[in-house]
Amino acid sequence: MAQQDTTQHQLRTVEVFGKPAEVYATGSRVVQLDSAFLSTYSSGSLAEALQARTPIYFKSYGVSGSSSVAFRGTNASQTAVLWNGLHIASPTLGQSDFSVLPLSGIGEVAVQHGAAAASYGSGAIGGAVLLNSPKYKTEGIGGDVKLETGSFDRYFGSGNLGYGSKKFSYALSAYGHLAENTFKYKDLSRFGTPEVQQEHAQVQQHGLTQDLNWHISPATELSLHGWYTFSDRELQPAMGAVNTNARQLDESLRLMAGLQHQSQLGQTDVKLAYFNDFLHYTDNSNDSEADVDTYQLQAEQTYTYGTRWSLRGGVNLQHFVARNDGYAREQEESRASLFALFRYDPVQPLQLTLNLRQALVENYNPPLTPALGFNWKFLNSNQHQVSLKGNASGSYRVPTLNDRFWAGAGNPDLKPEQGWNYELGLRHVLVQGNAFLLETEATGYYMLIDDWIQWTPNYTGLWRPTNLQKVESKGIELSTTATATLGEVKLSSTAGYTYTSSVQAAVYEGSGSDKGRQLMYVPRHKAILATEAKYKSWSLLGNLNYTGLRYTSNSETSHLDDFILLNLALSRRLQLGPNTLLLTLRSDNLTNAAYQTMAYRAMPPRGYTFSLRFILP
Amino acid sequence: MKKLNYFRSFFLAATLAVTSLGFTSCDDKDNIEPELPAEVRGPFDQKGVFILNEGNYTHTNSSVSFMSDSTGHAVANHIFSKANADRPLGDVLTDLDLVEDRAYLTVNNSNKIEVVNAYTFKTEAVLENLKQPRYFTALDADKAYVTEWITYGAPGQVSVIDLKTMKITKSIPVGIQPEELLLAGGKLYVANSGANTITVINTATDAVENTITVSDSPMNLALDRNNNLWVLSAGKIVYTSDWSAIDYTLTTAGALSKVTPATQNVETYTFDSNRTIPTNLVINGSGDKLYFIYDGKTFVQDINASGLSSTVFINSGFHGLGVDPETGNIYAGDHNNWTGDGTVRVYSPDGQQVSNFKVGIGPRGFVFN
Repeated sequence: MAQQDTTQHQLRTVEVFGKPAEVYATGSRVVQLDSAFLSTYSSGSLAEALQARTPIYFKSYGVSGSSSVAFRGTNASQTAVLWNGLHIASPTLGQSDFSVLPLSGIGEVAVQHGAAAASYGSGAIGGAVLLNSPKYKTEGIGGDVKLETGSFDRYFGSGNLGYGSKKFSYALSAYGHLAENTFKYKDLSRFGTPEVQQEHAQVQQHGLTQDLNWHISPATELSLHGWYTFSDRELQPAMGAVNTNARQLDESLRLMAGLQHQSQLGQTDVKLAYFNDFLHYTDNSNDSEADVDTYQLQAEQTYTYGTRWSLRGGVNLQHFVARNDGYAREQEESRASLFALFRYDPVQPLQLTLNLRQALVENYNPPLTPALGFNWKFLNSNQHQVSLKGNASGSYRVPTLNDRFWAGAGNPDLKPEQGWNYELGLRHVLVQGNAFLLETEATGYYMLIDDWIQWTPNYTGLWRPTNLQKVESKGIELSTTATATLGEVKLSSTAGYTYTSSVQAAVYEGSGSDKGRQLMYVPRHKAILATEAKYKSWSLLGNLNYTGLRYTSNSETSHLDDFILLNLALSRRLQLGPNTLLLTLRSDNLTNAAYQTMAYRAMPPRGYTFSLRFILP
Repeated sequence: MKKLNYFRSFFLAATLAVTSLGFTSCDDKDNIEPELPAEVRGPFDQKGVFILNEGNYTHTNSSVSFMSDSTGHAVANHIFSKANADRPLGDVLTDLDLVEDRAYLTVNNSNKIEVVNAYTFKTEAVLENLKQPRYFTALDADKAYVTEWITYGAPGQVSVIDLKTMKITKSIPVGIQPEELLLAGGKLYVANSGANTITVINTATDAVENTITVSDSPMNLALDRNNNLWVLSAGKIVYTSDWSAIDYTLTTAGALSKVTPATQNVETYTFDSNRTIPTNLVINGSGDKLYFIYDGKTFVQDINASGLSSTVFINSGFHGLGVDPETGNIYAGDHNNWTGDGTVRVYSPDGQQVSNFKVGIGPRGFVFN
């Protein structure tokens, strides 16, 4: 979980101003998902990975349904999702369904905690999930094939092929996934709570990624990325609710070209992208389609002066063309934002950043969004490093295309959401030679989100979006990672705990009788313990996850019980000449816990998965 | 998109939401043997009101609350789950009917009727595999009727239930989306909300006897003291050809109709706008005052008035409405934006709020015990 800290730690020692956007995010918490975990669980979705390894809570509509995120007590629209630096959330719904975002074909997953809208734009209120394409580093041809089979009729296959040289690299990756999800569960809603087999939860997914990097000259690099995902799902009905044969097809094509050029004026980055998101929902009485084209251009210039100053300025343009059965006609919207990110290190142990973003959107006028952060390493001895860090940042979210264009439900008075996030953290790093590294971090935050948009019925019963409430969220995030080498055993372990309190502070419509109570589906407590142990050719990956009680409405009168999930994966690496064969046996939900993340949506019991991965050098 | 369909369905469910009272049989007390056992047969063996909490569509969180009439007016929520080892009641509770010492809970999107002991709320039987059941009414201790939509937009049916065996003995085809039903004078009246008709069934033969034409989308039925049948029609919503907007040139306004059963004469009062839908027709215990909701306000209407009432009783609308047949107090269900527990507001017969209390999600109906 705190892997990114290591990266940052190295970054600071190796080069002061690296490329990642985190350079301008001092004082905030950025955590990278462990690469061993990502490769072992590559057949899963981003929702499963983040649920298992981060404090973020995902509400899943069963094993086959959509997964929506709750980060620092916010809702699904209030977490931005970026792929290679560009927003990919559905512009119609304003959120990403994390269950249709596969891990396969994704190189890095990082999680930015807290508001980061000055850096990432609309929607980065509770946090941001940053996805990056893999970097193909090996010279010559390489690749791997993975085949996997698991309980409840689950099959997965993926293949990667890459070629790299000094100037050029190319990688192609494809996957296919079929899960019947024929597990048994106890139907809590039926008289006598009989054990029944899950019906109507089949998932079929496939996809493709292509990544190309070409150093045209020593100072100029061209990159092309393509990502196609297809998902056809039977939506699992809730226990007690009729199976209406609901089915959803999601198809997304994401293409982008990037150009990076180094000159005396610093680094120029231009990204041009085209996304198409198609969604087709059907059930016994509905049949609706949404098809959105998104065009994006992001251009930025980074200028670094010496080792103390760095300035990045840029512009982001988005244009949406949406066809949706709920809209009166094809609708278009353009959005622009200008940003300036500034970093200054007055003295070596102190880093300061100031970020500003001004978004310009038809019909809405989001305010200027600032972020101010610092990182002060006040103790730096041989073994110990202690830093104090903090930031204050604004955030905003522009209403979605549905909020704006849904026929008959328009609300001309709708305003963008606006948030403020304040946090303070302490970080300790203990290094003992090459054998032991302990990194500990504690963060406390306070957040206010006003004009929170929600669909509610008006006085005549018509459902439409409205700026319903102001939410106050506060919490504590603790994590500690130990990395140790004991003879031939390599151990790495992360423990994390978060406390989240998220309540309505004001309600602008209706009785507001739930003020001060915890918002639904926000666990107050979540804890994880992740361990990786390596011994010779063996490796063991363990993941223990505790999710506290969650209320199922805003009144704190009904809830889902807390649960513990244990996942274990045992791998053995066999060397076959120059090639490697990796055998993995894993068990998810080893303790066979009966749990739900969304009320009455059955989740799978204990299951086993066996996988073979053949790696060309 | 899923969310949007949810909204669409929800809008539909919310539009169709009507109170379930007026016609439910509350006279079971009279049928109990004169020598009442002195002991209390369960926590709900007392005067009070059952509140039907619809819950969020597809979330299996319907519930029943009970407020006691005794001093303190204690409110018990989730009485079904508490009596049944935390088992949820189901998805979208539309009706609750008391028949002798049992209560019949119609759970629309669970396709079932839960039969519980009226005093303990422990389940005694479940009638499953219904086809979108909406409303239930019992003729006597042996026979009851339930309206079923079958499929949205297609003709529905009324199924006859043998209450002794809890088996369906017959299904009678009726109009599209049959909603409320009402027994009067040996006849069963069924409001076909997807059409503009009331189906009349003879309860001796269980055969359709007649069809009465009223305004578009009849939803609620109430019987007044003169044995006239009042019908509240929502009006027909017509969408543009691409289903993307409501076509107000074709959408019809709602109406309140008075049907004289003997002559089948229909007298209709049409509302002034087709942009807002009248809902929640209920009648008081003495059968002379009608209450309904229109344009975000609650109106009261005398049964002898010669036009639609302009008397605003409460200056807001509600999801559910009920009238205590003894006190004449009005019970109104506030949905609290559907994100948390609803509130029931109690108004005196002169429109003053006398109390309020919290119940489950989406209070839509009241059954007085």
